[in-house]
Amino acid sequence: MPERRIGVFICHCGSNIAGVVDIDRVMEAVKGLDGVAHVEDYKYVCSKPGQQILKDKIKELRLDGIVIAACSPRMHETTFRNAMRDAGLSPYVFEQANIREHCSWIHSDDHEAATEKAIDLVRMSVARAKLLEPLEESEVPILKATLIVGAGIAGISAALDLGDAGFKVYMVEKKPTIGGHMAQWDKTFPTLDCSSCILTPRMAEVGAHPNIELITMAEVDKVDGFVGNFKVTIRQRPRFVDLETCTSCGDCSLVCPVDVPAEFEANLSFRKAIYVPFAQAVPSAYLLDMENCLGVDAVRCGKCKLACEAGAIDYDDQEKIINIEVGTIIVATGFEIFDATQKEEYGYSIFPNVVNLGEVERMLSSAGPTQGHVVRPHDLKEAKRIVYIQCVGSRDERTNKYCSRICCMTAIKQARMIRDKTGADIYIFYIDLRTFGKGYEEFYESTATAGVSFIRGRVGELLEDSETHLLTVRGEDTLLGKPIKISYVDLVVLSTGVVAPRGSKDIIRVLGLSQSPDGFLMEAHPKLRPVDSFNDGIFVAGMAQGPKDIPDAVAQAKAAASGAMGLMGKGKITIEPYYSVVDEDKCSGCSVCISICPYNAITMNDRDRAEINAALCKGCGTCTSTCPSGAITSQHYTDGQISAMIEEYLSAHE
Amino acid sequence: MIQASARSRCVTVTTTEEKPAVDVDDDVDLEFVEMIKKTGGPNIQNCYQCGTCSGSCPAGAFTNYLVRGIIRKALLGLKEEVISSPDLWFCTTCYACTDRCPQDVKPTDVIKAIRNVAVAEGYMLGPHQKVAAKVVEAAHAVPLDKESWQNLRVKVGLEPVPPNASGNPWAIDEIRKITKKSGFEKLIGYEEFMKAQKEKAKKKAEEKKSQKKE
Repeated sequence: MPERRIGVFICHCGSNIAGVVDIDRVMEAVKGLDGVAHVEDYKYVCSKPGQQILKDKIKELRLDGIVIAACSPRMHETTFRNAMRDAGLSPYVFEQANIREHCSWIHSDDHEAATEKAIDLVRMSVARAKLLEPLEESEVPILKATLIVGAGIAGISAALDLGDAGFKVYMVEKKPTIGGHMAQWDKTFPTLDCSSCILTPRMAEVGAHPNIELITMAEVDKVDGFVGNFKVTIRQRPRFVDLETCTSCGDCSLVCPVDVPAEFEANLSFRKAIYVPFAQAVPSAYLLDMENCLGVDAVRCGKCKLACEAGAIDYDDQEKIINIEVGTIIVATGFEIFDATQKEEYGYSIFPNVVNLGEVERMLSSAGPTQGHVVRPHDLKEAKRIVYIQCVGSRDERTNKYCSRICCMTAIKQARMIRDKTGADIYIFYIDLRTFGKGYEEFYESTATAGVSFIRGRVGELLEDSETHLLTVRGEDTLLGKPIKISYVDLVVLSTGVVAPRGSKDIIRVLGLSQSPDGFLMEAHPKLRPVDSFNDGIFVAGMAQGPKDIPDAVAQAKAAASGAMGLMGKGKITIEPYYSVVDEDKCSGCSVCISICPYNAITMNDRDRAEINAALCKGCGTCTSTCPSGAITSQHYTDGQISAMIEEYLSAHE
Repeated sequence: MIQASARSRCVTVTTTEEKPAVDVDDDVDLEFVEMIKKTGGPNIQNCYQCGTCSGSCPAGAFTNYLVRGIIRKALLGLKEEVISSPDLWFCTTCYACTDRCPQDVKPTDVIKAIRNVAVAEGYMLGPHQKVAAKVVEAAHAVPLDKESWQNLRVKVGLEPVPPNASGNPWAIDEIRKITKKSGFEKLIGYEEFMKAQKEKAKKKAEEKKSQKKE
């Protein structure tokens, strides 16, 4: 191999590095190293003049390998690589020695040792740089279509943005209608906008959009392929009513003899076995709940089919498998309301007059089961004294540690609406009120002015009078420093938090996503990549990623849509050459690599040899270290490069 | 009740009770929390002062005992105020707070840990000291030291003295050895207590005598 001409650049990073590490000593130690053609230091190598020095020296001294001792590569690797590209050098003959995060910052108490460590790190980087190769970046085309999983407000917003921009959108929704939880909510805080008034036009738009294909009552079964070329298998449950033919006249429902609790109404009223979830449902068509149907033949029932003039009902409807191909995927699978039966001391589902936030939303809705009256469920009388208990299933070591973020404002909003409507006495027991959004604090203040009482303390227990079903609430007013008791309470509302939906396990498995400890989907970086998943081309948005209110969910949806558009707009994507390659002469075809690859990137080719898909491979090196024949090489992290670094370190410390 | 301003005359309301501010330099013992963490309340710093404990507390419903308040003071390091207060001894250790605490602070265990500190520093309620002294004296917190109890046992068909330390004086001696060697006697101030008891008894007897004379 011809002698390499490595250039070493040492960054002071102001005093971040130079304040701890003795730069002159590092330079002195590196200067004589074999292969090093140039050593230079600069106050900020990442700055424009710093990059210029790098570019000039590459050309002037015909450098063919670069080592920059500076911050973490996560910080400025791309900056330096682009500068090298500008100077006509392959960006892959570059090695960054991290002498800031790994050295000066953590050893600021021992300058001598930090300097020695910096010297070691730079020497090792030089040893590796000598073996680096100018790899080629490859490009793959990207399909201009997006799969959106979940059609709540996040999914809907992302779909419309993408559809309007001219991209094809496939929208998969588990439920029979789109709209999600927002469709069930009565008003939104802090403006008290009618939730369905702002949502349903968006729903209708999705239903009519030429670029959006809606697939309801369906789930994603399988996803193969990689960014740009995902092959998706969708399983759609039978609806038994044809979407095109159904006129939503409702004649079928009128004759149906079955009554079952209506999920959309939080089980506070009944629906038929053939039904439409709510008036503005999209798609606007009925569906038959076969589990609760008496039977489709004329002996058992079969009345709905007779009543349907349009002939839209098909009792023989079957499950469908739909195959599509997309370039990007957005996961917006939303949330579920916390199951309050887990908090026994609050008596949910034991005491009839204890309800959750979702149930009150339906009661508040003028289209809901009580036509907008908030009643005590045991006798349907107007509730005159109401207690809210905050943080039920949130900020709790026994259930969920996280703050659900929306319950404070939802409780304040409901309290305000009830207070304005009926003048009921309302007490809100809270630990901390989190009114974080625009206009939220002002809304809280005006609600207090409207006469809602806020008590700082979490409720200890509820007692019920078994005859009247009225409740007594015991807690502490921590601001008074005294126990407090409120008796003759008509209705206790548990401010139930949000949890990741039970079904999210499936989508996590199908897409190979990561989960945060709280059960929600994990983003690639909490600050800088908040809607990206760890898998290229797959984005997360809305509550699926963690508790958030409607504005934040919509913002994330738009961000995810823009991320997807950014990828698809280019038409093709560059793949970093960090993938592994197989030496077919050495491969024995044992398949061990296939079984351990976490990204399913390896297959057997027709010569019975392992073949690695460059787009799927993340270069993790698992196959390289597992291959019994040593047939796999991780490009850019070869065994030779790594042992050169180890040898360099050991040779100086013998 | 003050019913004043609506009428013609005005009552000026003042308070003579002093309410000095907490002085972080003088009143606070930063070691206190660490001590509690080591002696039975490792999660005390999880507490976010929600009041679930005091809202659930059956003792607190009828007394001045406020679990959250004690934990708050402990977290601030107000050791002297916490351990010298008789409130500390009102907890019946029913564990309702521990069952319901959302932060897993285990308030009952924290209270017990603080009680240990209090006793080590010489604070103990009289009745508790009395019970502890009984353990030293008779090897039982509730010994069989009244004839009526023996009669009661006989009445329900039991032997008058049960086969425990009460009927085996040698066992009491053994226990005594343990309480001495383990430092329990010193911890509860046994000797001083007994001395005080004797003096009290003597005084009482003298009073009775003088009463009889009269």
